[in-house]
Amino acid sequence: MNRRKLVLLLLLGCIFVPQMQAQIKHVEMRVEGMT
Amino acid sequence: MKQHLQRQSGVANVDVSLIDGKVEIVPKEDGKIDPAQLLKATYDSGVSVAELDMIARGKIVKDSSGGLALQVTPSQSFVIAPNESSNELQQLAGSATFVTIRGQLYKKPDGKRKADTSASLKLVILEVQKKE
Repeated sequence: MNRRKLVLLLLLGCIFVPQMQAQIKHVEMRVEGMT
Repeated sequence: MKQHLQRQSGVANVDVSLIDGKVEIVPKEDGKIDPAQLLKATYDSGVSVAELDMIARGKIVKDSSGGLALQVTPSQSFVIAPNESSNELQQLAGSATFVTIRGQLYKKPDGKRKADTSASLKLVILEVQKKE
């Protein structure tokens, strides 16, 4: 039973940890001289 | 220009609007994107950048000179230019709190001065969107 809980915890960790990572989410530029 | 930008590492998608001169860059989920490289790639394609804004999530740290910086990865951080919005981040320096901010990394100098994209970019906080 405890092993099951541990596996579940690890799975949840795999799902949520990447979302907690820091990162650049979006970049926007205003440019001039574009044709 | 679109091809130039799409070739940069960490770039998932580039959307160019010819009408208002807006370029939206969507980073890859797990990729590390370098805004300085994006600026350079844009200039190399013969287009000049007026502004570069970004939304980033990271931790607030103190840099070597005692100023604030937004650390997005262990190897990538942006020095924060002091302003009213950055003052509220002072207390978060060195804490485990993640912040999501919208900020301006580059703005073309006024007048006829030549733009220098090689200079280190300072992040001007426009909005603190989330603290968690």
